Amino acid sequence: MTKRKLLLIVLLAFTAVTALSLLTACDPEGEGGTGGSGGQDELYIYNWEDYIDIGLLDDFAAYYKEQTGRSLDITYTTFDTNETMLTNVQRGGANVDLICPSEYAIEKLMRGGYVANLSELVAELEAEGAEFDNIEGIDEDILSAIDEVFGDIDGKAMRDYMVPYMYGTLGILYNKNVISEEELEEYGWGILWNEGGNPELEDEILLKDSIRDTYCAAVLYLREYGKLPDGVSPSVGKPYTEMSSAELMNCTDDALLAAVEEALIDQRGHISGYEVDFGKDDMINEIVYADLAWSGDALWAIEESYDEETDDYMLGYYVPGIGSNIWYDGWIVPTTVRNKLAAVMFIDYMCRPESAARNIGYIAYTSAVDRDAVMNDADAIGALLDVEYLWYAEDDGACEIFLDGAGNRIFRYDWGDGEPYLLEADGSEFEGDESTLRPAGYSTDEDGLYLDENGEYIVDADAMNLFFFDEARYPVIDETLGVMQDYGAANDRVVQMWERVKAGAETPWPLIWCLIGVAAVVALLVGGYFLKEALKARPRRVAGSPGAPERQNG
Amino acid sequence: MTSAATAQGKPRRRFKLTKRVFAYPYVLFMLLFVVIPLVMILVNAFLDSEGALTLENFKTFFSQENSLIILGNSLFVGVVTTALCLLIGYPVAYLLSKMDSGKIIVLFFVLPMGINFLIRTLATKAIFIALDINLGMGTVLFGMVYNYLPFMIMPLHTSLSSIDKSYIEAAQDLGADRSTVFLKTVLPLSVGGIMSGITMVFIPTISTFAISQLLSNGKIFLFGDSIQMQFDQGLYGVGSIMSLVMLAFVLISNFLMNKLGKNNVGVGRSLW
Repeated sequence: MTKRKLLLIVLLAFTAVTALSLLTACDPEGEGGTGGSGGQDELYIYNWEDYIDIGLLDDFAAYYKEQTGRSLDITYTTFDTNETMLTNVQRGGANVDLICPSEYAIEKLMRGGYVANLSELVAELEAEGAEFDNIEGIDEDILSAIDEVFGDIDGKAMRDYMVPYMYGTLGILYNKNVISEEELEEYGWGILWNEGGNPELEDEILLKDSIRDTYCAAVLYLREYGKLPDGVSPSVGKPYTEMSSAELMNCTDDALLAAVEEALIDQRGHISGYEVDFGKDDMINEIVYADLAWSGDALWAIEESYDEETDDYMLGYYVPGIGSNIWYDGWIVPTTVRNKLAAVMFIDYMCRPESAARNIGYIAYTSAVDRDAVMNDADAIGALLDVEYLWYAEDDGACEIFLDGAGNRIFRYDWGDGEPYLLEADGSEFEGDESTLRPAGYSTDEDGLYLDENGEYIVDADAMNLFFFDEARYPVIDETLGVMQDYGAANDRVVQMWERVKAGAETPWPLIWCLIGVAAVVALLVGGYFLKEALKARPRRVAGSPGAPERQNG
Repeated sequence: MTSAATAQGKPRRRFKLTKRVFAYPYVLFMLLFVVIPLVMILVNAFLDSEGALTLENFKTFFSQENSLIILGNSLFVGVVTTALCLLIGYPVAYLLSKMDSGKIIVLFFVLPMGINFLIRTLATKAIFIALDINLGMGTVLFGMVYNYLPFMIMPLHTSLSSIDKSYIEAAQDLGADRSTVFLKTVLPLSVGGIMSGITMVFIPTISTFAISQLLSNGKIFLFGDSIQMQFDQGLYGVGSIMSLVMLAFVLISNFLMNKLGKNNVGVGRSLW
C-alpha cells in the first residue's frame, strides 16, 4: 500500500513538473534539434505555413556551402497566426534566427525589444567582408509606405529592422457570371451585404472568420453607405466621416464598434457563413459567388478557375475604390540570433529576383522585391515560365512581332473582337509611332512558337502584361489602402463584439424556456415514479424476499 | 522497485509479466495527454497575459453576457439533439430487439461510426449544398443527430434485448394490455439503457464544435467554438475558464446520470 502511495506521489510530482516546464517553454522547434557539431552551421527559420517555395531552402544551403565552405542545417518551423508566433517569442520559447511576421506583429516585437537592428547587422557583417547584393532590391514604395504608417517606434524606424517579404490587399473575390463589373463599381463593399439585392447572390456570400479582416470590410462599408456614427472620434479627434481608411480600420471607439456590430449582425441575413480556408474552393466550385479574400488567395483561385471553353477566368478580384487594407510581411532577426551571417544571407537570398519569382509561383502572393528587377531578370522569368504564369509567344494569328527603330521587340495583338493593341517586350504599353515598326520576320517551330534570330523562344508580352501589370497583384499603393495595426488594449472588446456577432441575435429563447420547462416536468415525473417505487420496495426488502427480480440481473 | 533488503527476505522474484504491467502504457498516456493538459488549463485559468496570478478571468467570463448566451445556445443544441436521438432511437432499438435478425441490423446503424466523423460531416455538407439547402440551425441539428444516433441506439438495444421475455409474458398473464406491458415492464427495465444513451449523447454534444462550424459555415457559434476562438486570439485565461466550465458541465451531467441510473435496475449499465 505504501509503495503504491509513493508511486502515486512520484507520478503526481512528475506530472506537475512536466506541466510547468511545458507552460514556461513552449518550444516551437519541438524536441530533437540536431546538435551542432563538426563544423556544421545551423539556421532556425520561423515562418508562416505554406509561405515559401520549399526547394529554396535546399538551394540556400547549397549556396551557403559554396560561399562559406561550411554546410548548413536548416530547421524550418511554421506558425499559423501572428498571435501564436507572438506568444512563442514573448515567452522566450522561440530560439530562432529568422521570423517572418506581419507588420503589426513586428511593431509589437520591436516595442518589446525582441528585434535586432538589421541595418546595423548588415553593416557589421559587410565590414567583415560579407556581400549582400540583393537586400537593397526591395520596392522603395513599400518601404516608404511602412515608414509612413509606423513612423517612429520608440525611436526606431521599422525599415531598419525588417526586410519586406510579401504583401497583399484585401478585396472581393467574385464570380463574373453572377456579379457584373457595373455592380462592383456601384456597390463596392456593399456586395458583401448584397446591397444590390441580387437574388442569385443572396445567402451565397462568404466572410472571413477573422475579426481583423471582417472589421476592416465593415468600417469601409459603413463609410461607403454613410452609416458611420455622427460626431467626433474621441481617439482620433476627427469626425468619423473625415477619417482616412487607415484611421477607420484602426479605430476601436465604442461608437464605431457598435455601428460595426450592427452592420455585421445585419449582414448575417445575407451571407452563407464565415470561413478561413474553404472559401477559395467554394468559389471555384460555384457553391458561393462572393468571398472576402486576400489578394494572393484570390489570384490563386482565379488561376484555377480558367475555363477552357470560354477561354476566360470565371472568377475576378476587386478592391473597392473607397479603400481597403494592405498588409506587409517581413523578415526580422530576433536579438537572440545565433547565426547572424546565415540569417542575413538567407534574407539576401530571398531578395534575389529569381527567389522572388519562385515564391510568387508557389504561394501566389506578391513579392516585395522591386517589380522591374523581377521583370528584367532572366532567371526570374525562367522560374515564372516553369510555373506557367508566363508563356512563349505563339504565331496563332493574333500575335505578331515587330521591331522598332532601336531594335526592341514590339508585340501586336489582334484578337478580332476589339481594338488591336501594341505591347513592349516587358508587357507595358507601346506608346511610340506604329508606322516606324517593321516586321521582325521571326521563324516558328513546329508548334507555331516564335524563334528569334538565335533560335531562342520569345516570352509572350501579353503574358508579361497580365502578370506584371495586374492591379490585383501589383496594386497602386496610395492613401486609400490602409495598414492595420494591432488593436492593443482594445483587443478584448473587439473580440467580445465579434463573439456577439458570431452568436447572432437569433437565440431562440422562447424555445429554450419551453424545453427547460418540459425537461423539468419530465424530471419531476421520473423522480416521483422512482420515489414511489422505492417506497413500495422497502417493506418487501425488509420482509426479505429473495426472489426480487433485481437480483437476477445485477 | 523492491529494495535489496526486502528482496532478500522473500524468495527471489524476477520481473513478471503481470496484468498490471499492461496498464503502464495507458497510465503514461493518461498522464501525458489528460492529466498534464488539465493541470495546464487549471494554471492558465489563474494567470493573466503577463503571467501574474489573477482572478480577473473569472470576472471577465461571468460578466460577459455573450458568453452566457453562447453557453445557453450550446445547452439548447445539446438538449434538442439528445431528445431527438432518444425519440428516434428508442422505437428503432425496441423494434430491433424484437426481431431475430436485430443484431445484424444494429450493425448497419453502427457501421457509419467506423468512418471518421469529419469525413461524414463534410459529406453531409456536400449533400446539403447539392440539395440547395441553406446551412443553419436545422442542418447543424441534423448533423448532430446523425452523428450521435448510434451512441443512443447501441445502449438502448443492449438493454432492451437483454430484458427477460418471461417478465413480459408474466405481465400479459396477469391481464396487462400492450401499453401497460410496455409502460410497466419494458420501459422501467430499459431505464438503464436510456440513461447511458443520454449520457453518451448529451456530454459530447455540449462540447462539440467542428460539426456546428462545418454545417453552418460558422454561423452557429457554440461554446466549443467560443473556447477555440479565445485560444486563437491569445486569451488563454478566459479560454481556460471556459474549458473548466465545460468540464464542470460534463462532470455534473455524468454525476446526475449515474445517480438516476443507480436508482434503477442496471441492465444496460453494466454493459456501458
